[in-house]
Amino acid sequence: MKPKWQVWANEAKAEFPKANSALLPLLHRIQTEEGYLSENTINDVAELLQLPVPYVESVVSFYSLYFQKPVGKRVIHVCVGLSCALNGSDQLMHHLEGKLGIQEGQTTQDGEVTLLEAECLAACDLAPVAQVNLRFVAPVESADALLAKEVNS
Amino acid sequence: MIRLTIDDREITVPEGTMIVDAAAQLGIDVPIYCYHQALGPLGACRICLVQVEKMPKLVTGCTTAVQEGMVVHTRGAAVDKGRKGVLEFLLINHPLDCPVCDKGGECFLQDYTFQYGAPAGRYDEPKIHKLKDAPINDFIIIDQERCVLCQRCVRFMGEYVGEEQLLLEGRGVDTVVATVSHQPMDSQFSGNVIDLCPVGALLSIPYRYKARPWNLEREESVCPHCPVGCTTSVTSREGHVIRVEGRPVAGRNWGWLCDRGRFGYDFGYVEKRLLNALVEGREMSAAESTRTVGRWLDAALTDRGPESVAFLVGGQQTMEEAYQVARFSQEVLPGSRTAMVRTVEGYLPSGLNGSFQDIERADVVVYIGGDPYDAVPVVHLKVRERQRANPGLKVMGVGAYELTRDFHGAKNFTVKPQHQAAFLAYALAQAGTKSQAVEHLASQLGTYVPSLLNPVTPEEIQALGRTLLESEHLVLLWDGKEPEMESVLLALRAAREDATEVLPTFGPSNWRGWERAGIPAHFASLQTIIDDAAQGKISVLFVVGADLLRDYPDREQARRALERVDHVVQVGLFLPEEVQLYHAVVPGAGWSEVYGTYTNMEGRMQVAMATVQPPGQARPLRTYLNSWAHALKKSFVLESEWDPFDDDSGDFVPRESLPELRPVTVPEPSPGTPPGSLRVVGFSLVMEGGMPSEILAPRVPRFPGRISPQDAARLGFSEQGGELQLEGTMGKISVMVAPDRRIPDGILALPYGIHGSPLNQLGEGASVKAVRLEEVSLG
Amino acid sequence: MSQGPYLLRNQVIADIDQIDVYEANQGYQPLRKALKEYDPKALVEMVKASGLRGRGGAGFPTGMKWSFLPNDGRPRYLVVNSDEAEPGTFKDRELIEKNPHQLIEGMIISSYATGAREAYVYCRGEFLYGAAQLKRAVAEAYQHGYLGENILDSGFSLDIKVYRGAGAYICGEESALLESLEGKRGNPRLKPPFPAVAGLYGMPTVVNNVETICNLPPLVENGPEWYRTMGTEKSPGLKVMSVSGHVNRPGNYEIPLSTPLRSLIEDYAGGIKGGRQVKAIIPGGSSVPVLTADKLDTPVDYEAILAAGSMLGSGGCIVIDDQTCMVAVSARLVRFYREESCGKCTPCREGTFWMTDVLERMEAGAGNPRDLDLIRDMADNIAGKCFCPLGDASLGVVVSAMKYFEDEFEAHVTEHSCPMGARLYDTVNH
Ligand SMILES: Cc1cc2nc3c(=O)[nH]c(=O)nc-3n(C[C@H](O)[C@H](O)[C@H](O)COP(=O)(O)O)c2cc1C
Ligand code: SF4
Ligand code: FES
Repeated sequence: MKPKWQVWANEAKAEFPKANSALLPLLHRIQTEEGYLSENTINDVAELLQLPVPYVESVVSFYSLYFQKPVGKRVIHVCVGLSCALNGSDQLMHHLEGKLGIQEGQTTQDGEVTLLEAECLAACDLAPVAQVNLRFVAPVESADALLAKEVNS
Repeated sequence: MIRLTIDDREITVPEGTMIVDAAAQLGIDVPIYCYHQALGPLGACRICLVQVEKMPKLVTGCTTAVQEGMVVHTRGAAVDKGRKGVLEFLLINHPLDCPVCDKGGECFLQDYTFQYGAPAGRYDEPKIHKLKDAPINDFIIIDQERCVLCQRCVRFMGEYVGEEQLLLEGRGVDTVVATVSHQPMDSQFSGNVIDLCPVGALLSIPYRYKARPWNLEREESVCPHCPVGCTTSVTSREGHVIRVEGRPVAGRNWGWLCDRGRFGYDFGYVEKRLLNALVEGREMSAAESTRTVGRWLDAALTDRGPESVAFLVGGQQTMEEAYQVARFSQEVLPGSRTAMVRTVEGYLPSGLNGSFQDIERADVVVYIGGDPYDAVPVVHLKVRERQRANPGLKVMGVGAYELTRDFHGAKNFTVKPQHQAAFLAYALAQAGTKSQAVEHLASQLGTYVPSLLNPVTPEEIQALGRTLLESEHLVLLWDGKEPEMESVLLALRAAREDATEVLPTFGPSNWRGWERAGIPAHFASLQTIIDDAAQGKISVLFVVGADLLRDYPDREQARRALERVDHVVQVGLFLPEEVQLYHAVVPGAGWSEVYGTYTNMEGRMQVAMATVQPPGQARPLRTYLNSWAHALKKSFVLESEWDPFDDDSGDFVPRESLPELRPVTVPEPSPGTPPGSLRVVGFSLVMEGGMPSEILAPRVPRFPGRISPQDAARLGFSEQGGELQLEGTMGKISVMVAPDRRIPDGILALPYGIHGSPLNQLGEGASVKAVRLEEVSLG
Repeated sequence: MSQGPYLLRNQVIADIDQIDVYEANQGYQPLRKALKEYDPKALVEMVKASGLRGRGGAGFPTGMKWSFLPNDGRPRYLVVNSDEAEPGTFKDRELIEKNPHQLIEGMIISSYATGAREAYVYCRGEFLYGAAQLKRAVAEAYQHGYLGENILDSGFSLDIKVYRGAGAYICGEESALLESLEGKRGNPRLKPPFPAVAGLYGMPTVVNNVETICNLPPLVENGPEWYRTMGTEKSPGLKVMSVSGHVNRPGNYEIPLSTPLRSLIEDYAGGIKGGRQVKAIIPGGSSVPVLTADKLDTPVDYEAILAAGSMLGSGGCIVIDDQTCMVAVSARLVRFYREESCGKCTPCREGTFWMTDVLERMEAGAGNPRDLDLIRDMADNIAGKCFCPLGDASLGVVVSAMKYFEDEFEAHVTEHSCPMGARLYDTVNH
């Protein structure tokens, strides 16, 4: 457990009438820094917020944006929602898989990039849409353009 | 009350009743998976669809409360189609491996599919694969592929028991039930999830592949291990008990069991089970032994008279057997004495004895001396259930350490051993009541001022007194350790207008029943016999279904007694400790082998059927009694049916009128415990004491002793604990201890009857020198 | 009719996300007016009179929802639903990213009207930027005295907190949202009790969509009569429509309700790409039935679209051209619901899983003629039998597409290929 987590936990708790509400914000904050939420981190968070470990574990496993396994420095979400699909997102995904040499759901060997599907990202006007570490990159012109700008620069 | 019609039949039920429960009252079976009355509605599985007139869609009968004039149809084309659909969905990812599933034949997925499902499957796609056959502790295996995600197990452990050891992991079709961090669950109540699971996802490991439902027999029974007397069903196959399940009794209990009760059924078959008679070191048939014992008895009668014969009845016997002993003593050997083997000295007059229904109505529950979780586990669930229904419930503890666990807002008064009766008397006296009974108590206290082991203000003590006197429905759970408590409880009852009910948490499980059968229950009766024996006044001593050295509070005195008796005869299931002190040990029959009645801590009589034959030469007690009488050439006819039930009190043993108030003994100011020493406090722990079980062996705590974390640190132990050598005035033992934050400094809590570390070698309340032997690490 | 834009002023005023720009354009004037000229009850009456209906999907009259709050002295909460995850819907994102003060002002007015002293915005986890924009704007609003104690000397106090979910469409459903806001798994709650009675932390709670609340400032400024000059009797006012798919100018368009669908697609969104024809329109987000090209003259309002066989829903209008395979479209959308099913109830969890498999197999050419009846029957076994509306939502497109484009579905299972020749799908799995 890092000392500042205690501070973050207190900040999060202070913001809400019930400690439970602090859980999602605290997990976000810690994951942003740690990359993912290990079993130890989950135990720490449970302790910080005085919640049962299984409760925290169960919550974490419910949400798709919490990672329980290590991810790459850049997490690329490619939207595969209908509007994006109508505008070529499947091909985009294919190309990215090819260029990165990994399948959707995997992380490159060098730990740089994790490639994930996203359900509709509510930016259909910009299809096809991607997010890099939850920052919108849209419309994506091509896999090459995306990688050149977001990964190789 | 609400009136409605279900399948053209009218019924009136209380407001808030769910449709499925109202239907059940009419005998109409609406299928359910996720719903359980004790857990409340969830609405997850959707199998309970019914049609309600004027509602546009089918509704789930488990989440829809009845309404005046409602017209419900539990069958019909739409309902049947809906159910069929749900069942088909439940089966698409199910492995359909019924032939190798222990639940087969007892499975609600099979049964409902048979009743309501489609004749053939339409699912051709690949199934999702999940974890199969994964143990979640030593007793339970999970098959996530068979799981229908009804959440009963998860909700039971988390919401009901309050030990969140199961969780839902993942989302959508990938959701699974799992343990915390994939570690084994260690709750005392884990086994209930097997009963709760409507399908074959959570199965018993000891029962695994032992039988198909059609080649087994099920009988109604009662758990014999502790005074709760939970109702059970015993499954046997080919003369062996192979499973125990909880048996719900409508309106009274949900059929929860603790793991001791559920899995500790193998004591009949353990290696220690006595199969032959052993007379003066020689194995012989049971029949042969009766002649020898008869000779001893005959000699005792002629030489020293019947006063020199005594019977001690212990933990394993039914009321009927106790009655037989009492009759034998009175009719065959008039003048002989009987007593029951006790571990603690207290007595509770039956007039004070409350029932579990009192817990259901309580607004204050006080634990005195011990934690029910350890001694009478299922009572812990009853108190929790009460707190669910009444969040304002106050739970308090008065004992040598913190007794309440995980109850919201619980309050503890940590009082030195042997001071608890005086402390409660003091608290009552402080509350400023005009009650004569309390004034009488107070007058006995002299200058006594309590000193507690945890920080408590005088106001809090006063408030405790007032709560005790003024609460509306007061329930006390008493561990029976301090005999003086009886007078405090009587005074409290006399001073209060409202319900004051006491539930004794002490054993032996069936003591109230034996008392009803005519065996004296006061400790003094036992003590006199033991003292007389130690003085050589007893010629033949029968110990029936007990292990005297293990159970009697003063092991040395018990040993001296046995040494001085001419002939000690033991009837029981196992060899007693220090068997060389016994002249004859004859194999008895026990629970599940004889029909009989058990009386629980409520004073409620419950019948347990016999399911199997006693093994080897083991015989029911009556056989021995008859043949001993025969050997004495006395006619002794045991009626085959003694009916302990009483017309006026029904299931309960009749309550006697309350005895006179007696003075309490004010504790001597205890000499300051010398530095480095600990004061011993005994407690009963169902997991540790009682009958042996190989199934339960992995769960018997490795560190039965508990000390404060500070003491543990002082003794140089880590969080795991280690082994201590203890030395008191009465003797020496070594014991494994672990730190427990509920224990105050200077206290050592030790369960009664631990094999190899007998607390009665030290004495309750003794101050002992503690020397660290070694640190033990849990691999 | 409309002098607009009212809700999407960000499209014509640069930097309106900055408080000074917002203020310079009459921002926070409606708030002053509301606090000064109205008591809470009058505001609720005004919203009722305007006929404003919830823009989150169900179209429930907002004023009526507010009046359900019990008057029992317990604290109340306003929760704004910015979980926006319904495929094809992206209006709330623009509203919070580009004009956050408008939402905040709406929230203050709504809280004043409903008696809430604390209000939350629940943003979906992916709205990292939107949430940051809101947080920044909330801080500005505090600095300018629009939030906190005794706002503008009115005696009314309010705190606003911005909360981020963590990736789960189901958290858009109001009770699941509240669970999530309480730090739990986003499983929907049993109803009743409804949020108005027992919502956040068990207290009376109003849950409204972002766009709904954004209507408050213009409504207070211009009055309910003005609002009723647009739209129809039952569907008055303005609606932001998100148009996407095969159109030339995808984007958010603020239209007076009852504007014809054709006008929305052609005039606003610039017509179909590449000069192709409209094949199908999903007018209200992925949960609603498709409309065919012959319904292009339908006015965009709740009743007319319902009469045409679909629903206005969240206003996420996905336009599909005539070269697109409807089996693929259906498969993609059902897959979405499979991914997003919370897993609590059987028909939704298992039904969407199975149906996805069958549709994807059909699309890949491995269907068989029994599949069509199978899908219809599965849909029947899901419909109306799930714990929350998500299960039913998964059926809107597939069931209607099978009705209007039956030939296409049949060709997939008899010819084992797509008559459109085109595959939307990556079919390597089959
Ligand atoms: C599965 C599901 C998802 C939903 N998603 C959203 C959403 O993302 N945003 C939203 O405002 N309402 C959503 N809703 C509707 C909300 O439950 C609720 O009706 C709405 O927030 C009320 O606000 P309104 O009255 O202003 O429309 C969803 C409903 C369901 C059943
Ligand atoms: S609580 Fe007691 S009676 Fe009940 S199952 Fe456990 S040991 Fe048996
Ligand atoms: S029993 Fe009713 S939904 Fe499960």
